[in-house]
Formats: sequence, structure tokens, C-alpha cells
Amino acid sequence: MFNKKLIILLMVTLLAMTLVAGCSGDKAPEGDVADNGAEEQLVIGFSQVTLDSPFYVALMEAAEAKADEMGAKLVYVDAQNDIAKQNKDVQDLITRGIDILLLNAVNPSGVAPAIKAAEEAGIPVIAVDRPAQGEVATFVGRDNKAMGKLAGELAVDLLGGVGAAEGKVIEIQGAAGGQVMMDRRDGFHEPLEQEAGVEIVQSPYADYVRANAVTAFQDLLQANPDVNLVYAHNDDMALGAYQVLEQNDMLGDVKIIGVDGLMEAIQKMETGNYHGTVLNDPGYLGEVAVETALGVLDGEEYPEFVDAGTSLITPDNAADYINPDLVFASKQ
Amino acid sequence: MQPAVDSKQSEVKQSSKFWDVFKRYNLLILILLFVALAASLSPKFLTVQNFLNLLQQSSVIGIVSIGMTFVIIVAGIDLGVGSVVAFAGMIAAVLLAGGHGLVISIGVALLAGMALGSINGFLTTKAKVPAFIVTLAMMVAARGLALLVTDGRPVFNLPAAFNWLGAGFIGPFPVSGLLWLLITLIAVLVLTYTTFGRSLYAIGGNAESARLSGIRVERNIIIVFAISGMLSALAGVVLASWLTVGQPTAAKGLELDAIAAVVLGGTNLFGGSGGVLGTFGGVWLMAIITNIFNLLGLSSYYQMIFMGLIIVAALILNQFVANRD
Repeated sequence: MFNKKLIILLMVTLLAMTLVAGCSGDKAPEGDVADNGAEEQLVIGFSQVTLDSPFYVALMEAAEAKADEMGAKLVYVDAQNDIAKQNKDVQDLITRGIDILLLNAVNPSGVAPAIKAAEEAGIPVIAVDRPAQGEVATFVGRDNKAMGKLAGELAVDLLGGVGAAEGKVIEIQGAAGGQVMMDRRDGFHEPLEQEAGVEIVQSPYADYVRANAVTAFQDLLQANPDVNLVYAHNDDMALGAYQVLEQNDMLGDVKIIGVDGLMEAIQKMETGNYHGTVLNDPGYLGEVAVETALGVLDGEEYPEFVDAGTSLITPDNAADYINPDLVFASKQ
Repeated sequence: MQPAVDSKQSEVKQSSKFWDVFKRYNLLILILLFVALAASLSPKFLTVQNFLNLLQQSSVIGIVSIGMTFVIIVAGIDLGVGSVVAFAGMIAAVLLAGGHGLVISIGVALLAGMALGSINGFLTTKAKVPAFIVTLAMMVAARGLALLVTDGRPVFNLPAAFNWLGAGFIGPFPVSGLLWLLITLIAVLVLTYTTFGRSLYAIGGNAESARLSGIRVERNIIIVFAISGMLSALAGVVLASWLTVGQPTAAKGLELDAIAAVVLGGTNLFGGSGGVLGTFGGVWLMAIITNIFNLLGLSSYYQMIFMGLIIVAALILNQFVANRD
């Protein structure tokens, strides 16, 4: 009796949940693209590090759209941050038959088996977003050190300008030991090291996660109530700091800089209390990756590193980037 | 050891008295020890503001840990809590962003969490799959659901009214912290004074003899998992409200923190004993440790090492005290 009721209840709730999930997703079904049959379509394989972050989802979708536009087909696999799965995935792609492989490596040296397998099958490999060691045609990515440097230069500006900058800085760092974290740190430190009056008082790690950043920054703000600027390795964490300052009625007293060009952060710039972010447009990166892939297949030569570029977004130019439909701002 | 002054008997009595007190309050003593240590290390620690911050910061893990305590008392485990937190937060955020009211959005999120919890309970009892496996599967599946809701995108620009739950204050007290205290109180009352609550200890102690004594074991286990799912969902709503964003990747690894808090609080992982007050203390202990590390500006590598050492040391102490008759 009770069981019957329970089962019905479960069914109904599950149905309701499916509806909720269904209404909000607006993903087009996997393309049954009409074959024009005139020529064989080129197939680009894309092994993606993970699809549980909006950045990589945006990268993926832009690459797909670009491939469509250029008459190629893109098939992708999701390594779910697991290096073993990534090597298996690539093997599956090769078995399935691809002309070129875009590879966003879980880690640079762990993908050696995948790269070797591609090489044996005569398939060129392009590293995307994260570098990969071994025989790759080129690496399409961004210079995170340059991004950190842009943030550092802005910090010097906000603290009084070159040669006169003064103040205490808290740096909220990403994931300990990661390449991106080290680059965004080192690049940021470069301009600051020239300034005798600037001191980085604390550098907690918050794993790029907002909740961790809020907790850490709440504690650190008590320990350093006289902090002048907070720089976070991504906007999500910087928004965590923003929120803590808001709660303490200190917005405006402390300058905030993030990285990534998260739309939520750019919208906050209108209040004048979020002072800068550095563009890290995943969509454009995806487009460049696909263009490069088709170029390589056409026999074009590419340098070792294809830079998808970056730029600084501040309250002065924020209006140009605002587009509520995007998660990350796109290159203008 | 000191040479015995009194007769042997009274010494035994004395020492057993000390151990009785210590056994009962060892967690409290441990917390006070850390508080004293922290206060001596940093003048910023023993401030009202700091403790109010801790109350707010810990409310999410605190609420999740209450549900986890129920599950562990019946000798189960719930590894799905972190994913359910994320999923419920996404459901609430999407509904709110879609212009639905607070009550509807939060209500649906709580129901969703309860449903996922019921599925856990149902599979462990009816299909006889170990809770560890069932909830591990739920951890993966619910994370998938959380990502599916918006194709992995975070949902922001939530209505300001929603922000009150996670970031608002009543007087000087954070709303989320008060909510955590309230649920703790209710949970203590349920476990101590209701037939249902007391039956959980019997089930965790020995499910078979509980069944023979007329307790509806399977039903109660399903309810316990449903409670855990619903409290995780509530924690997810609080988290989304606190951060003013629904994130499908939120609360990764939260299940392990919750289990650590429950075990630190003296609840036996094999079921049958423990309680929510202990868990409450366990959450505070972990919060105080991280907090003092941050106030001192200790590098986070050392923080990780010390955290591990302290958890192990506290557990050894718990064991040592529990085994002393």
C-alpha cells in the first residue's frame, strides 16, 4: 500500500523534474545535417578536458557553430577531467574516423598515448586552450601570463600610477600548482614588483570557486581591514570578494580586479565598484581553433603558438561588452 | 602516574569520574581548546563579528551534515549530498530567473532533493544495493542533472529578495546561520523525543532485531534518505542565495567534509550511535580550524596538512575516550 504510493510519488516528482530541466535547456538536437553529398565532409574531432564548466561549454559550442559554418563536421568527447578517459576517448575518435584532432589536454604530459595514436593514424593534432607535450601541429591558446600582466598594470594604475603606486593587495589564487594559476600570478606580480609602495599581504588559494573565495576573503578582510585592492585569478572568485565587501559596506574602499570577462562581473562594473577584468573569450578561442584546424588540413603553416588574444575590460569600456545572453564577454 | 594518596578504590573512582566527564564533553573540550589556542594566536579571532561570519560560512555544510548524521546513524552513508546541493541550487535559480516566486522556486527545489533522497533510500532498502554504491551513483547522476538544467551555464541576476536567505541578517545574526540553528534544534528533538528518531538508533545498531521488535525498518530508512536529500536541497538553495548565483559545479567534495564533521562529532560510522549536537560541534571545529589558519595567514599547503592531522588526531581521541570503560 505504502510502496505503491511512494512509487507514484517518485514518478510524479521525477516527471516534474524532467519538465523543469527540459524547459530550461534549449540545446538543439544533434545535427542531422542534410548531406549535400557533393563532397566528403571533413570531420574534426575534439577531445575536451571537461564539460562541467561554462567556459568549456561555450568553447565547444562556438567550435561546433564555426565548423558548421565552414562546412565541416565536429564530433566531440568529454574527458571529465580524467586523463585515462581522455586517452581512451581519443582512441575512439580515431577509430570512428576523423581528419584532424583538437585536443584540450587534462594535463600536458598525460596525453602522450593519445598523441602517439593520432600520429600513427596520420592524424594531425592541435592543442587547444591547454598545451600538450609531443608532436602537435600548433597550440591555439592564450597567454595567461599576459592576462595577469594586464591585471597587474591596471592594479598599479588604480593604486596611484607607475612609480607612485601604494597599497596593500590581497591576491585570491586559483588551484594550487596549476599552470594557469602560476601564469596569472607571475604575470600579475611583474608590474607590481617595480613598485616599492605596493605589498601583497595575503595569497589564499580558493580553487577558482566563489564559495571558497567568500570564506577566505571574509577572514582575510578582518585580518587586513586596510587592504586597498583585491585581485582574483578569475572573476567568479573576485565576485565572491565583491560580495564580502558589499556586506561590510566597504564597496568602493577596495578595488576589485578579476580575470575571464565573466558577464556577471562586467555587469557589476556599471556600479563603479568592480574595476577590471581581462578578456578570456572562450567562443573566439573555439572559432580560432576550428579555423586553424581547417588551415592545417589545407597545408597552411602555423607558428608554434597561435594566440587567441586578450584585452582589458574596465568600467570605461564595459558597455561595449555587455550582452546578457553570454556567460563570457566576447571579443569586440 | 602520581603515587596513590588515597586508597586505590577512591583513585579509580576519581579517575573514572574524570573520564566520564571527558567522555561526555570531549568534543566541547576540544573546541574550547582550539578556541583558546586561536584566541592566543590572533587578536582578531575572539570577536563577535568573526563568530557571526563563521555562523554564516558554515551554514551550508552545517545543514548538509545534519542530514548526513541521520543517514550515518542508521549505518548508511550519503555520497550524493554535494551533487544534490548543486542540483537544487540550479533548480531554484532557474525558476527564479524565469520569474517564478520564491515559494514555488524553493519548494520545487526542496521536493527535487527529497525525491532524489527517496530514490537513494528506495534502492538501498528494496533493491538491497549498498548505500555506498547507490549514493555514489547519485553523486554522478545528480551532478549530471545539475549540468543539464542549463547546459552547464551558471545562472545569475537572481532577484534581490532571494539574497536575503543566504546573505541577509536578522539583527546581527545571519539568516542562514539561524536557519542552521533552527534545523539543528528540530533534529535534536526528533532524534531524542520521537519514536521515529529513537527507532533510528535501533536500526543502526541491529536492523534485524529492530525489524523483529516491530520497527518499520525499510520505511524509516527511506525517510532518512529523503530527509538527507531535502536538507541538501535546502543547503543548495542557501548556497545559491548566499552567492547570488546558481552554479552546476558548486559544492564538489562537500560530501566528504560533511562525513568528516559527523564523525568528528562522535557519530559512529557503523551506525547506532551519535547525534546532531555532536555534528554541530564537528562543523564548528572544522570551521574554527580553517578560520584561524586564514587569520594567521598560514600557507594553504600547510593548511591542508594540518587539517588532515587534526581530523585524525580528533578521531583517535574520540576512539580512545569511547573505548575507555
